[in-house]
Amino acid sequence: MERPYDVTVIGGGPGGLAAALKADEAGAHVLLIEREARLGGILKQCIHDGFGLIRYGERLSGPEYVERFTDSFRQRTIACLLQTFVTAIDQRKDGFLLTVVNAHGVMEYRTKTIVLATGCRERTARQVAIHGTRPAGIFTAGTAQHLVNLSGQMPTKRCVILGSGDIGLIMARRLTLEGAEVAGVYEVKPEPSGLRRNIAQCLEDYDIPLHLSQTVTRVFGDSRLEAVEVARVDSSMRPVPGTEKIIGCDALILSVGLIPENEIAETLKVPMDRGTKGPVCNSDFMTCVPGVFSCGNALHVSDLVDYVSESGELAGAAAACYRPEADCKEDVPLLPDGSLQYIVPQKINVHDGKETVLYFRSRETVTDGTFVIEVDGKELFVKHYRNLRPPEMERIKVDFSGSGLREDARITVRIRQKEGAR
Amino acid sequence: MNGDSLERKLNKKLQKHYGTAVRARIGQDAIRVSGTLSSWTDIVAACSMCVQKGSHLHVVNDIVLDGVAMPKMREPSWSDEKLEGRRPDVLVIGGGISGASIARELSKWKLDILLVEKEADLAVQASGRNDGEVHPGVDLNKGTLKQHYVLLGNKMYGKICRELDVPFERCGQYVGFTRWWMYPAVLAYVWHRKFICKVTDTVILGRKELRRKEKELNPKIYFAMYNPSAGCVCPYGLTIAYGENAAENGAQISLNTAVLGMEVKEGQIESVQTNRGRVYPAIVINAAGTFAEDIAAMADDRFYSIHPRKGTNSILDKKAGHIVKGIASVKTLKHNPAHTKGGGILHTVHGNLLVGPNAEETYEKENFATRQESIDAVFAKQKMTAGRLDKKDIITYFTGVRPATYEEDFIIEKGRRTQNLIHCAGIQSPGLTAAPAAALDVEKMAVEELRKKRAVEQNDAFNPIRKGIPVLKDMPKEERDRMIRKNPDYGIIVCRCEEISKGEILDALKSPVAVPTVDGIKKRLRPGMGRCQGGFCLPLVMDIISEYLQLPPEDVTKAGAGSAITYGRTKGAGQRRRDDGETI
Repeated sequence: MERPYDVTVIGGGPGGLAAALKADEAGAHVLLIEREARLGGILKQCIHDGFGLIRYGERLSGPEYVERFTDSFRQRTIACLLQTFVTAIDQRKDGFLLTVVNAHGVMEYRTKTIVLATGCRERTARQVAIHGTRPAGIFTAGTAQHLVNLSGQMPTKRCVILGSGDIGLIMARRLTLEGAEVAGVYEVKPEPSGLRRNIAQCLEDYDIPLHLSQTVTRVFGDSRLEAVEVARVDSSMRPVPGTEKIIGCDALILSVGLIPENEIAETLKVPMDRGTKGPVCNSDFMTCVPGVFSCGNALHVSDLVDYVSESGELAGAAAACYRPEADCKEDVPLLPDGSLQYIVPQKINVHDGKETVLYFRSRETVTDGTFVIEVDGKELFVKHYRNLRPPEMERIKVDFSGSGLREDARITVRIRQKEGAR
Repeated sequence: MNGDSLERKLNKKLQKHYGTAVRARIGQDAIRVSGTLSSWTDIVAACSMCVQKGSHLHVVNDIVLDGVAMPKMREPSWSDEKLEGRRPDVLVIGGGISGASIARELSKWKLDILLVEKEADLAVQASGRNDGEVHPGVDLNKGTLKQHYVLLGNKMYGKICRELDVPFERCGQYVGFTRWWMYPAVLAYVWHRKFICKVTDTVILGRKELRRKEKELNPKIYFAMYNPSAGCVCPYGLTIAYGENAAENGAQISLNTAVLGMEVKEGQIESVQTNRGRVYPAIVINAAGTFAEDIAAMADDRFYSIHPRKGTNSILDKKAGHIVKGIASVKTLKHNPAHTKGGGILHTVHGNLLVGPNAEETYEKENFATRQESIDAVFAKQKMTAGRLDKKDIITYFTGVRPATYEEDFIIEKGRRTQNLIHCAGIQSPGLTAAPAAALDVEKMAVEELRKKRAVEQNDAFNPIRKGIPVLKDMPKEERDRMIRKNPDYGIIVCRCEEISKGEILDALKSPVAVPTVDGIKKRLRPGMGRCQGGFCLPLVMDIISEYLQLPPEDVTKAGAGSAITYGRTKGAGQRRRDDGETI
């Protein structure tokens, strides 16, 4: 067996590529494992623009964005296994033993650290309890996107979209451009779940109606979908009897949420955060299992790829300088109150001498809100926001080094609303 | 009781409930109930009222459901002449567990066997929508065909699953009781089952022993009736395996083939009309599930009725698999008129949990639509079996329809009026368990009947062994490595949730009863059955099918004609493909 890798990155999308590049720059011996035949992850099928605004100040398409990473990845000749699937990870005294499968056979690799950049998957029709028959024509938005953008195949002539997640909005526009009719986008919540810019650019610009507080309750059709039943929902999101309406369509496209893929993390018994559905990690993006790092959408679902790459870089750099012996330090948990959906990382490294990047989402829409971090009751960080919306993730940088953080410190996080404002 | 007094008695009973709307008539071969009622529940109740336990007379329902047009049988919308003029020795109608197992057992003989199935695959209806339990038969009464065949069938499972290379596990069944004072009654019941009904493995487990075997069951269960002979199997996997073994031994399996009519003369079926031509079988075996009654009617031999009863099961993520390791349910005191144990929790051979089924009477034989209410009802009940059961773990659910007779028993016998016909009807739960044994008897009846016309010889080339598609993910590393080195496609993972390779999908496309649809592949290998439910692998499976069959992707279907997944190329794709001939 060859010499062990310092860092093995699992997943060759924008998070994994960034992690591998940074780890390599830091001088680590790096291996990247990608399940598909080409690098780029989901960005391969995201041919719309808007990627890289923060990172490059440009509106790139998904493939263009990822090309910037794959170009430098190839220049740096980082070891890479394509069309390779990780089947098992065993924890050893000096690191991990990975078992992988590809067209050459079953192989084993030793590595000191692992960066999990496995991305996310889509919530399915069954997971949002759609009932009725089971004809062809029910797709998640990502599957529809694969069919249109990678296979060059039209999955519908007239469809209903359930859920106003970003991929759903993007697909509403994409399918319209390809000549399909989008009968409407239905969102069970009273507010859209996608980014505002996508509502404007994908729905409003194309006169596609968005129906809030309405959902698809049933589907009809034996072989191919023939119609869906939609209904209004009450404040607890239950369909209101008597408001049902039948809409004829040949496809139902679902954009009802993304779930971080953490099957590998779970086999390693990495503790999970119920809010993010990703691993709990510290400011080095290391999970509670020493040597296992997490980044990108596997850690928490981001709405901008720029942040996926950023967390990948931070995780990759940290994995490259991971020292098992220096690992006994205690991390201090961040304690968000009910005003936040979540904050990532969930723990702060006491000895962090640098600024810590934090990502968070508010639980509700807040106008004129103030994000506050307090250490032992003393304000450490305050930031004012005109608007905070759950679909829009916020990113901040906080310097904990000056606060004299101790292991038993109490770090509370909350969003303060302006008196009387809502 | 003679016919006249029975008829009077039944009509008195019917009149009490339904006035003059319904009446019963005792015929030579059946109790026929006719009239008009406005609710299906009433029709089922009226017919059930007329059931004579132990009688050879079955109830035939001729009651009209007022104002409702009975749904017609779903059948292929197209026709051809593929089978025109075929003269098989045996025509088996129905590609469920009964038809497939019968075809396989018959292939031990030098016979021309033709199995027709109207759907695009085997095991699409009751056998594909089954919970997969191999029952111990502890809940059945002596003297029924069900009990007879279940006890025999259960014992056969180990051998048959080894021969057909189908995963099977005797994981044991626990029926829990939450009231300690029920113990003496259950003890007497267990004694009766063990010594009178010959379900010899029945025992009672105390709380401690139960806890040791199934840690996460409701702690309020004081004791449980336990049958280690109970097991689970993949119901459609076994049906397909039977079908494949039949095909390997010479039987012809014709899918997308619906029986539309029969020509019957002097108690003999002369010919059978299908959408793929007219065939002239020597004998016909009716294994048509919920449509067995319709086939019987075509054959002029309708002496029983099927009242469809649907049930819904949920499948939970493998992550929840630890909750129950065998098959568990709790017995409540509430009277359950629905002819089901109210379902249970079953650890499937694939490691998921299956929760259900419930039972609802319906006149729609092919309405497989699911409803949230069914799932809620099942979960409310099964939470008493294991409190940690959580609807959040559901990854999918499905509805099946059981073909029940009013007697709630199987009908496995030769035609009463029509001579060259054998019925294998009313095969509802626990029909899957019974099927291997029932198939042997049907085989005997068929050979006996054929021997009246000609000599029937053994098929010396019969090979009982069927090899399934290799499951690479379950292989030891070295073996998997060896397989991949021989065939690199085994190393290309297509389905990430269930770890299925391109090589395995190609194997399925080359299998003896190949069904090149997305659902056909899914049933044979499980891509699309994992937690992403095909979100990632659907386009990949489509590509493999389209490449293998040299079909454009828009001709790849989910489950046969009419279920195409895409409508052809996008604007740009057409252009570029024409320019450089390359698939993008």
